[in-house]
Amino acid sequence: MSARRTLFIGTSFLTALVALMIIERALAGEAAQGTVQAPRFEVDPFWPKPLPNGWVMGMAIGVGVDSNDHVWIVHRGDTLSPLETAADQNPPTAGCCRKAPPVLEFDAAGNLVGHWGGPGEGYEWPLSNHGIFVDHKNNVWIGGNDAKDAHILKFTKQGKFLMQFGHQGKSGGSNDTTTFGRVAKIYVDPKTNEAYIADGYGNKRVVVIDGDTGKFKRYWGAYGQKPDDTNIGPYDPSAPPAKQFRTPVHCADLSNDGLVYVCDRPNDRLQVFKADGTFVKEVFVAPKTLGDGSTWDVAFSKDPQQKYMYLADGKNEKIYVMDRQSLEILTSFGDGGRQPGQFFAVHSIATDSKGNIFTTETYEGRRLQKFVYKGIGAVPREQGTVWPSK
Amino acid sequence: VPTFQVDPFWPKPLPNHWLFGSITGVAVDAQNHVWVVHRGAPSMTARTEIGAATNPPTSEKCCVPAPQVMRFDPAGKVVSHWGGPGDGYNWPLSPGGMAVDAKGNVWIAAAGPADPLPGAGAGRGRGGAPAAPPPPDAHVLKFSGDGKFLLQIGKAGETGDDTSTTALHRPTAVDVDDTANEVYVADGMNNHRIVVFDAGSGKYKRHWGANGPTPFNAPSCVKLSKDGHVYVCDRRNNRIQVFRKDGTFVKEAVVAKDTRGEGSVWSVAFSNDAKQQFLYVADGANQKVWVLQRDTLATLSSVGGGGRWPGHFYGVSSVAVDSAGNLYTGETYEGKRLQKFVSKGMGRPAAKEQR
Repeated sequence: MSARRTLFIGTSFLTALVALMIIERALAGEAAQGTVQAPRFEVDPFWPKPLPNGWVMGMAIGVGVDSNDHVWIVHRGDTLSPLETAADQNPPTAGCCRKAPPVLEFDAAGNLVGHWGGPGEGYEWPLSNHGIFVDHKNNVWIGGNDAKDAHILKFTKQGKFLMQFGHQGKSGGSNDTTTFGRVAKIYVDPKTNEAYIADGYGNKRVVVIDGDTGKFKRYWGAYGQKPDDTNIGPYDPSAPPAKQFRTPVHCADLSNDGLVYVCDRPNDRLQVFKADGTFVKEVFVAPKTLGDGSTWDVAFSKDPQQKYMYLADGKNEKIYVMDRQSLEILTSFGDGGRQPGQFFAVHSIATDSKGNIFTTETYEGRRLQKFVYKGIGAVPREQGTVWPSK
Repeated sequence: VPTFQVDPFWPKPLPNHWLFGSITGVAVDAQNHVWVVHRGAPSMTARTEIGAATNPPTSEKCCVPAPQVMRFDPAGKVVSHWGGPGDGYNWPLSPGGMAVDAKGNVWIAAAGPADPLPGAGAGRGRGGAPAAPPPPDAHVLKFSGDGKFLLQIGKAGETGDDTSTTALHRPTAVDVDDTANEVYVADGMNNHRIVVFDAGSGKYKRHWGANGPTPFNAPSCVKLSKDGHVYVCDRRNNRIQVFRKDGTFVKEAVVAKDTRGEGSVWSVAFSNDAKQQFLYVADGANQKVWVLQRDTLATLSSVGGGGRWPGHFYGVSSVAVDSAGNLYTGETYEGKRLQKFVSKGMGRPAAKEQR
């Protein structure tokens, strides 16, 4: 064996050894830092494209994705300060900006392709719109959480009024079967055409109605029990779990395997039910969170099994990535702030067919943001702000 | 005209779950480090924004107010931070503009109380009857780069009118003439003049008001060009007035003349070329930075637009330029961002409104 060949073998061995050491270190590092295999996301800072017409958004209070991967949001223009809507003032105080219409439709590239909303003939536009959902028949559902909003609305995608269920100012409490109490969100089951209503900021229940007639089919409170509107005071993390939902009941989303995930927001928990209202299980998330609570909205991953669930927490300013079956939190991303991928009151969440996540922010966040799905990979338990890797 | 592109990933995410309040001052020092001063907790909503700073905390970790003075390196990393009450000086109720002089000392105008935010979050999250306002800020502060107190001109609560040689009334901005060792003060929200003091002793030197019959209305910047001219933002009059250092009037221009309310001319910065050929004007009412030709004061183009996405503004109140010609902006109100616009060299002003 020539000296050269010996050197070559020696070098190869050394290379292999170093490679092994690197792998070992990587594995040890993964364990030490507590990384986990989970869906990964990166914010797209240039999605959507700038709005036309000098339009700006108020509190962005709902997001949904339709079958064409168009992204729909509803926001509250009347929450904008006169300083920010100077061109709407009489007389205008500056050239920028104007309130955008309440309902905005974006294509997958982030172009604004549709807009409508506001009061009209034959229906009561919510005093404080809240939540948006596009159903399997391409109809758009909107709730409202003003003290007087006791109804939900259904429109075509073009904004033509179709149906109103319930009436403004007529809420009859959590056991009324004709009206609602400040609805937060609507989800329509494509198999049964039943609409699941998170009801809401006034009532303490989930209601299921027929998606065409609005006929009440069933409703339930926490643990599947009859709801009770007695004021149980503020959430106390050291007290036994509350027997009732605390308002707002903020989401009620149905998975493909027929489970209803309910955001019991101030109670910092998700409760899971069968479609008939039978209680299955619950999980507490960031249970020391006070005030607005931690469980604001959920969306599911796009695999047929919906293996993962994404939970928006507008109080701790992050998205939790959960294993949907075990309800274990695998990781989280996001943090407070005004830069891309950061949040101020992340309020609503939805996923498109590619697995991308869309979020809207209320209070002074007022953004629609896109988080691009980057496949399954190793991530830390707390990712913080997720910017693209360069 | 100079063209720019926003860098959405500058600065880096703040550590420690820190949040900016309303930003009132941005400056670039000799090392191209970017300084920012913001209003801190009083400009934040305790219930919704800084839950980790309340007693008891209402959120787990996010968020808490960042220290009010922060310094970023060119990569966008926080390299130092300080600010807040201390011995021997009056920390501002609400800071205004800032400047960093050639020695690396940091000057901050005390401009408070903060202007209220009409209609912000009306009925949702703010609310409660307004308390009686505390005695207003009436002073200017000088610190070393690491935050050691050096000098205070004027005193909180001891206001002076437009003739005072010792007292100010809500001064909004400062700039330093390093050669003459003089500090120029825009005075201010309640007065209508520029006042010059010795930058070492704080001794009064001279002052002057607007040229012409219309007094300054919220003069919100004062900035010295290399050729020895003093640029004054006469904010609510939508105009820039230019003076010699002795106060002799040189010229003026109106920007976005139809602007009402808070006005269009909030803060200025000069381009980085030797001749300082361009003037950048932050306009927190029209939500853009205007690009002006400095010699003619003609408006050439603008950068930005209203909104919460990168490159958009809500209340852009401050502007500064580094040695590479990059632009930095700070937003007050609920904008609360420090943004960087990377210089892309000279280009056609075809896009009259750049984003």
